[in-house]
Amino acid sequence: MQIKDVYDYLRALLRKDERSERALEITEDAIDLNPANYTVWHYRRQILKELKMDLYDELKYCGEIIQEHPKNYQVWHHRRVLIEWTQDPKEELKLTENVLSVDAKNYHAWQHRQWVVRTFSIWENELSFIDQLLQEDVRNNSAWNQRYFVIYHTTGFNDAVLEKEVKYAQDMIRKAPNNESSWNYLRGALLEKDLSTHPGLMEFCEELYGKSVRSPYLLGFMREIYEDRLEQGCENVEDVLYKSLVLVEALAMEFDTIRVEYWNYIGRRMRERYAPKNDESEEAGAASAAMEVPAK
Amino acid sequence: MAAPTEDEFLREKHIKFFNRCIDVLPHQYSTMDTNRLTILFFAISGMEILNSLDTIKNKKEEIVDWIYSHQVLPNESASNLSNCGFRGSATIGAKFNPTQTSCEAAIAYDSGHIAQTYTGLLCLIILGDELTRVNRRALSAGLRALQLEDGSFKATLEGSENDMRFVYCASSICYVLDDWTGFDVDRAAHYIYRSQSYDGGIGQGPGLESHGGSTFCAIASLVLMDRLHMTFSRVELDRIREWCLLRQQTGFQGRPNKPTDTCYSFWVGATLKLLDAYDLINQHANRTFVLSTQDTVTGGFAKWPDHHPDALHAYFGICGLSLLGEEGLGKMNPALNISDAAAQHLDKIHQTWRAS
Ligand SMILES: [Zn+2]
Repeated sequence: MQIKDVYDYLRALLRKDERSERALEITEDAIDLNPANYTVWHYRRQILKELKMDLYDELKYCGEIIQEHPKNYQVWHHRRVLIEWTQDPKEELKLTENVLSVDAKNYHAWQHRQWVVRTFSIWENELSFIDQLLQEDVRNNSAWNQRYFVIYHTTGFNDAVLEKEVKYAQDMIRKAPNNESSWNYLRGALLEKDLSTHPGLMEFCEELYGKSVRSPYLLGFMREIYEDRLEQGCENVEDVLYKSLVLVEALAMEFDTIRVEYWNYIGRRMRERYAPKNDESEEAGAASAAMEVPAK
Repeated sequence: MAAPTEDEFLREKHIKFFNRCIDVLPHQYSTMDTNRLTILFFAISGMEILNSLDTIKNKKEEIVDWIYSHQVLPNESASNLSNCGFRGSATIGAKFNPTQTSCEAAIAYDSGHIAQTYTGLLCLIILGDELTRVNRRALSAGLRALQLEDGSFKATLEGSENDMRFVYCASSICYVLDDWTGFDVDRAAHYIYRSQSYDGGIGQGPGLESHGGSTFCAIASLVLMDRLHMTFSRVELDRIREWCLLRQQTGFQGRPNKPTDTCYSFWVGATLKLLDAYDLINQHANRTFVLSTQDTVTGGFAKWPDHHPDALHAYFGICGLSLLGEEGLGKMNPALNISDAAAQHLDKIHQTWRAS
């Protein structure tokens, strides 16, 4: 059939709301031509329901379209509705795993997987699946996000879990210190904690720093620990402020130069907030003002 | 003629690029594409920012009529109010009648799509239309039917995925209609709040990975609702800013450890504008990247250098350069994603509505 014929035929059937086998077939032709047409999918679902079609056949068909068009919103939505109807999620982990084996960051696949895992409480093997993905590519940010999602919805970040997750992130950082995703996970897991008092964090940073690691994420993390000390009202304010401004300058001038304006801004903000405001510290203020890095 | 240098912005070629996009659009019934209003939006908003809408002056009326033909109107008993909106195409054979304000009988399966309502309304505003044929009451009713328990929106009454994109479409529609009765602001703001990820960015929904596009949709929605500072604390906003600034490599990426892509110079750039932090980016590197994706032969922009241009990236490439203050480009209203000039026209329409 010509494209125009398919559409003319479909329009005629839609107007009558005919729910028949031939209508089901024509939706398939229309989906072939344009899988993004949400009306066609909706019509197809009405027919499936009315004719009490075998939903497992439909799941198979839907899976094929997903493999062909893995970034199509409508077909993933169709999948979800079918699973709501069957209440049978057993193919879904495999399906999303297949899609993720081609594109490990496919947002639709992760979204579907999260919905399935959560709706049907299939948490058992999720962490080992994620671990396998991170062994393949430690920079897979979607996998790190899934890790957070799983912990958050199962055990939560209680003290024991937190310790384990911090260690996990730290091990991954040691392998690839320039990886934003693992640093973000470490920082995110510790969100509720004070960075300056949580045990072991500065030691971990100093270990890397001592091995000449100068990842911007390392320097930024150390700066945050220092800022937290200042925020908590530490005693040696000028010393801590000085150390953090040295880090900020290193970021601006050498290790994260694309963000020179940002790091200068952070430096200014820290001086405003924490530089002692009495007379004798004017010199210190002048000294740190002199450290201001000019924009390139 | 000398070949264009790498950092030359080829304004004339982009105008031609968008003109070609428009020319292939309004063939009624020829396809069942469901996003033609979106393509139209990229083309005419792009031309508006290029200060070149004049080149389609004699087609304006026809285009406005064509846009109105996508409006799903209430029938006499208003039994289909919840279906009202703009549809994506003439798929189901609604008759072409751009001047009517109600229809005789609702057609089965005929309903609007939230993204098409959003782009349809914006197109009308950009083209200088006064929105007199927009059935505001029906659009509000249609929108109200799309909000879910968790505060997010689905796209169509029949059901679709629900996410941050549609929260943004809904916020924009309410802002344009100057009517928030179709929208539970508290719930929507809470949905946005719950979608902030552990890394500071915002995902399409709670638990989902932070993304430049959804972060824009979230922040722009809060700005349109006037809820930004009620929703996020100072520290939380700082984390969103830092997440956005960390997306800059040369141009911007949409997620950590993903390649840079032209469209994020707008999505992330506009978010930073709305958060008063745009002056902290490296403007030079950003401009150089966007221009490296410019097609010097056909005009338009691609997502990556040496790839084929498409309407979406052509539009957001122009937008990214407008945010940078590129010469020859109009300024943008980053929350509404239209030119300042178009946003001012909308203000005037609102004044007229409020006075009557
Ligand atoms: Zn893109």
